[in-house]
Amino acid sequence: MLEVINLRKEFTGVLAVDNISFTVKQGSIFGLLGPNGAGKTTTIRTILDIIRPTSGEIRFDGKPISSEFQNKTGYLPEERGLYKKSKVIDIIKYLAELKGLSASNASKHAVEWLKKLEIEQYKEKKLEELSKGNQQKIQFITAVIHDPSILILDEPFTGFDPINQQLIKDLILSLVNSGKIIILSTHQMELAEKLCSDILLINQGKEVCSGNVGDVRKRFGTNSVKIEFNGDGSFLNSLPYVQHLDAYNNYAEVELRNDVEPTKFLQDISTKIQLRHFSVIEPTLNRIFIDVIKKTSA
Amino acid sequence: MKKSLTIAKWEFLEKARTKAFILSLIITPIIIFVFSYLPGKLAQQEDKSTKAIGVLDSTQIFYDELSTNLSESKFPDGQPRYVMMNLFNSDKGISEIKQDANAKVLKGDLDSYIYIYEDKNEDIKLEYRSKTIGNFRDMDRFKEAFNRVRREIEFKKANIDQSIVDLISKDIDIKSIKVEEKGKESKSDFFEKFISSYIFIILLMISILGTGGMLIRSLVEEKSNRLMEILISSCKPNDLLMGKVIGLSCLSIFQVIIWLLLAIALLGQVALAYVSLENILVMLVYFILGFVFYTSIFVGLGSVVTTEQEAQQLTSYLSLIILLPIVVAMPAMQNPDLLIVKIFSFIPLTTPAIMLLRINSVPVPLWEILITISILIVSIYLTVIFSAKIFRIGILSYGKRPSFKEVLSWIRSS
Repeated sequence: MLEVINLRKEFTGVLAVDNISFTVKQGSIFGLLGPNGAGKTTTIRTILDIIRPTSGEIRFDGKPISSEFQNKTGYLPEERGLYKKSKVIDIIKYLAELKGLSASNASKHAVEWLKKLEIEQYKEKKLEELSKGNQQKIQFITAVIHDPSILILDEPFTGFDPINQQLIKDLILSLVNSGKIIILSTHQMELAEKLCSDILLINQGKEVCSGNVGDVRKRFGTNSVKIEFNGDGSFLNSLPYVQHLDAYNNYAEVELRNDVEPTKFLQDISTKIQLRHFSVIEPTLNRIFIDVIKKTSA
Repeated sequence: MKKSLTIAKWEFLEKARTKAFILSLIITPIIIFVFSYLPGKLAQQEDKSTKAIGVLDSTQIFYDELSTNLSESKFPDGQPRYVMMNLFNSDKGISEIKQDANAKVLKGDLDSYIYIYEDKNEDIKLEYRSKTIGNFRDMDRFKEAFNRVRREIEFKKANIDQSIVDLISKDIDIKSIKVEEKGKESKSDFFEKFISSYIFIILLMISILGTGGMLIRSLVEEKSNRLMEILISSCKPNDLLMGKVIGLSCLSIFQVIIWLLLAIALLGQVALAYVSLENILVMLVYFILGFVFYTSIFVGLGSVVTTEQEAQQLTSYLSLIILLPIVVAMPAMQNPDLLIVKIFSFIPLTTPAIMLLRINSVPVPLWEILITISILIVSIYLTVIFSAKIFRIGILSYGKRPSFKEVLSWIRSS
């Protein structure tokens, strides 16, 4: 488990991160979201032990991080780039050895990963001879080759074509399934919504909202459901917990009282009308992002 | 520490494989050879054609002797250097002859002519007249020949015994011997000393500038593509700094060793004769320390730079600092015992160069060697600490170059 506790980082005169806390469990993806300049990179850098926090603490498995911790982290920065003039296999081996792998293990894993990502044929090529997408793959390998416990991915999908996006997504999911902690920083809200179990939205260094993705969506939603049906829907108005009804002939949007689960509503109506569609109306993360950031920035 | 070695290995191998490095291995010795050998060779070289030299001897005493004397001067292949012509003509006035002769020189019929005359005080005067007045070798020969001829004529007039004349006319040359410790003596001349010390200093400077430039460029690259963050998330900044300094120092030493081997292979014993083995060891110590010292300065300052352009600016400023020892070395070469030279030996920036020079030309007391080496080691330690502080923050600052004040605040922080 990774714990970030009351993290605060001040650069000369600028408060980059202000009292941020969150925890990420093994085998889950945590979304670190926020507009540009919100403090995401600073947070990531403190977790990676690149910079020291002004105050606050990072704990891994209950212990404060030490210098060996660096061997357990993998990092894919948003801006990509490796040694252009060097050979692919050499770059991977070098960065793997820097993460504490022995030279022989480094070569072994390098070849395995090159195979897994279907680019083994470029092993002896110079990096600059590869296409952009393949260079990104190499960079991805350098982030994961040493089997890190914590993987920090900053916009991992940019620069990949749809097929490779799929490949990378599957890889990320298999890493999560094997119990890794993944921190995902991205502006693609749809992606965060699909991949992350928990998120933290920050703006201007401060936490804006956080928690389980479902909870967040519910919290910012109005506990409304959308139904399509056949039959007489006039009884809907008489249900005690219906706060607001927007009904048509065979379509209705119903706002429920906050303490009522949508499933209860479903049970109550399913015998009286013939349902064709039932869904909970929740705002997308994208919507929440825009609304909340606008509100807090104002 | 293990990570430093990984970094050092990477820096060494990757840089050693670059075309720029391989080229420098070959081109630098050629440049050094051209710079040190060619000017001397050119100065020794002279026009290999026989010159027509006129003599206008208004005293009518010297011509015969002088012309036999100069006609004996020959090129190595036996071809005479000069063909002498007597310009004196009793039918004409001196000024008229001079005008004719000047015209001949201008036309190219005569290369030059020598005018011998007596002034009002009846002193003998000698003039060399030609289109160009730069040929010191010819002038020296004429002067020498004339004085010899004149002396002989005067001696004869005074009826002095020929054997005494011979004795007096014989020049005795001076040979310089360098006294070294333990009563050893070794032959040396200025040129040899110049070559051996100066080449060492120039090698030091070239390899520092070369690898220092490489270092700054690679730092800029690593910063601009955020590779730096991956590196720093894998090891401590100090490990990275150490790794780079070690790797590049090895690279430079490797480079110099190759150059020295090349020199020995090409020049053989001659190259070895310039320096004694003991001196080479001490010189190597200064060389390595000097290199590490300069490299740690480069690393610290280089981490501040954010663009290729700034890198170039910084490198040129640093080159100026590094050129300082070469400038000081020139006068030091001529007088290695001067107080000011000794003072420069104790200033870390100039220590390596000046000591390289002094070690090879004068016996330097052991305590001075020990103290200067200690000063260098302490300076390296301090620069590494300062550089590490700048480095730690500098490598993560992008965009705007930090001001001097900011850099100072980095040094002060923690």
